[in-house]
Amino acid sequence: MAISAEHVGRSYPPTAPYVVSVAKIAEFARAIGDDNPAYRGDQPIAPPTFVAVISSAAWEAMFDDQELGLALRRIVHGDQRFSYERPLRAGDRVTATLTIDKVRVRDTADIIGSSVRVETVEGELVCTAAATFFHSHQESADE
Amino acid sequence: MSEVSDLDGIHQGGVSVGTGLPPLTVRFTRADLVRYAGASTDFNPIHYSERFAARVGLPGVVAHGMLTMACALRVVTDWVGDPSRVRSYFVRFTKPVVVPDDDRGAEVVFSATVTAVEGSVATIAIEAICDGQKVLGAARCEVDLDGGASS
Repeated sequence: MAISAEHVGRSYPPTAPYVVSVAKIAEFARAIGDDNPAYRGDQPIAPPTFVAVISSAAWEAMFDDQELGLALRRIVHGDQRFSYERPLRAGDRVTATLTIDKVRVRDTADIIGSSVRVETVEGELVCTAAATFFHSHQESADE
Repeated sequence: MSEVSDLDGIHQGGVSVGTGLPPLTVRFTRADLVRYAGASTDFNPIHYSERFAARVGLPGVVAHGMLTMACALRVVTDWVGDPSRVRSYFVRFTKPVVVPDDDRGAEVVFSATVTAVEGSVATIAIEAICDGQKVLGAARCEVDLDGGASS
């Protein structure tokens, strides 16, 4: 099977709840070299792009969907948008739910638009993370 | 404790179209990529294996696009102080940042300019330059100058 416009609108079940922790926020802030005081202390918020840790977990459902016939090694992350309702905070329990928004099949590649709703287990929308992927039809030259 | 920065300075200084933000230079070494892989749980081998990177046609080990995206936003959050003021953030990953296996790594220079102000929301365009070339395209961020979303 191959991905096509017929798959627009397809959603996957939410990821297992992820608990945002003080330690993981500190680890992430250090990894991006950011010493902003908002990421420290007992009740830190997460850096805005921390959402990627949670939203990317939702991509796997789409990448693994046999009906779409996607090969991970031929997928390139083209663009990324985050729209925030509020920052993630330590203690938040959140899930990520992916929907395929757009599919364009071209000669050399499929262009896939997706969006991931990151919500608390209580149902509060925290952020929407939208990504475009390019899925090339050709294997790149192997050595 | 979440220390909220005082934006009075920004307001008094006047934020308007064309206002430039202080630039930021970041150097990525292989160690930084390993650290980000662990923190983000993105363990794609193109971010640590020369052999794997070559196999998929890359010129070398490359930085995570999301790492570049994260660092680019620091130009904005360092300026506004409170990261919860960020309302939206978009980047296009136009060119990979190749990170050599040495102590110098790769240098990326981030700069940003206010391109629109509507009410309390400023739109800021961000540039990321590595080796004289743009590595992010159309990068832009909306920040609320009057209040964070955390309250």
